[in-house]
Amino acid sequence: MLEGLVSPDSLSLSSMDTSVLERLKWLQQQQQQVVSQCSNSSPELLQMLQFHGSNNGELLQSTLSHFQMLGSGFGPNYNMGFGTPNEAMDGCISRTSSSHMDPVDTMGIMLKNSDENRAIALKNKRKSEVKTREEEKTEKKIKVEAETESSMKGKSNMSNTEATSETSKETSKGASEIQKLDYIHVRARRGQATDRHSLAERARREKISKKMKYLQDLVPGCNKVTGKAGMLDEIINYVQSLQRQVEFLSMKLAVLNPELELAVEDISVKQFHAYFTNLPVVVASKPSIMVDMPLFPLDQQGSLDLSVINPNQTTSVEAPSASWETQSQSLYNTSSLGFHY
Amino acid sequence: MASQDKSINTDVPEKDVFALHFLQSLSNLKTQNPSNSPDKTNDRVKKIKMAAYVSMARAAGGRRLWSRALLRRAASENNKIVRFPRRKRRVTWLSRRRCNRRAPVEEKAADRLRDLVPGGGEMETSKLMKETAHYIKCLSMQVKVMQCLVDGLSPK
Repeated sequence: MLEGLVSPDSLSLSSMDTSVLERLKWLQQQQQQVVSQCSNSSPELLQMLQFHGSNNGELLQSTLSHFQMLGSGFGPNYNMGFGTPNEAMDGCISRTSSSHMDPVDTMGIMLKNSDENRAIALKNKRKSEVKTREEEKTEKKIKVEAETESSMKGKSNMSNTEATSETSKETSKGASEIQKLDYIHVRARRGQATDRHSLAERARREKISKKMKYLQDLVPGCNKVTGKAGMLDEIINYVQSLQRQVEFLSMKLAVLNPELELAVEDISVKQFHAYFTNLPVVVASKPSIMVDMPLFPLDQQGSLDLSVINPNQTTSVEAPSASWETQSQSLYNTSSLGFHY
Repeated sequence: MASQDKSINTDVPEKDVFALHFLQSLSNLKTQNPSNSPDKTNDRVKKIKMAAYVSMARAAGGRRLWSRALLRRAASENNKIVRFPRRKRRVTWLSRRRCNRRAPVEEKAADRLRDLVPGGGEMETSKLMKETAHYIKCLSMQVKVMQCLVDGLSPK
């Protein structure tokens, strides 16, 4: 717009003048931009800029008046274009009109001033740019910190051990993964397939490994073995040994059984009580068994074989082909009679 | 105990319950076969073992797969019908095995474990692990109780 306005008038002027005009225009535009940019920044900067702007405006006005003296019909258009305060313009015009200056001198002064102004403006602009960049950087930093915090929280929840030093991209990825985790509790790392089937398979394997860990605590000597196959072998061996132990003990009991017959007949309460007091010492799994012991009604009744076994025996004699359910029912009856365990 | 096993709920049955069941079944055996003939010792050993396992399963309750399988097996051996509420959906291991062709070593080991744990044939692997954990706990408990009984009954 300005160029369009100026160009027909500049035909009458010299080429130097037009260049100076364009420079001035450019300067003012830049300064306006800088003012608009730095409106958020410190007030000192604003003042500085205003000061420079006013200086520049005075300069402009002086040059304008000079050009007005040179060329006719140029002033109003120019004023319209720049929108500088008209009152000051008038004063300047009167001042410049009163002062007789050579155009070449004014041109030189103007050039110097414009150079200085431009330099200052550029500095200001750079400062403002730097400031804005710094602000943006700080904002980014804050964002990144927030992301890392969220990702760290998620990691601590998932108890995942990954390197904490990650780029912003990775942190954003982790955030998206955490968002994913709300729906599916399977974590796909880099390079892992994300099909439905593979996800399900991975979940299954995680489940199995979790339970294997639990089994590892149960089975003695399983902590030293590494690898699932070895652990499974160890577990199998343990179960087999336990089953063999049961078999061996049942054999022993079968050998002892004729004696057991006699023993159960003659056994005293003290002996059985001794067994069951021995139990927690040997087994040593629950200290509460000692509290539960008085509930076991061995010491309340006279002889165990009569009190515990006789009612059951009668039922079994009455119905020898009774199923386990009836036996359990009879047991329940006996328990309801006097036992509460 | 309970706080540790919240994820995998395996509560061990009481030793007293198992001991009571076992003694009852032993006395039942006595009343059924009062003869002390030496050629029947093998049979007697089998029966005592059976009684021990069944009493363990009964002490564990009917919520575990292995205990139900044990009781069912015992019932089938005795030619008696036991009704347990069947599971609605049962994962057959054969259908799963076709899909999973990876890690053959582990699966072979798991198959061997399936043969050991009663009722393991119809469990999937994770379930098998859970049941195995409970089974091991119960077995160790049983072994300790039986050891106590033998120690108490043996002549001094």
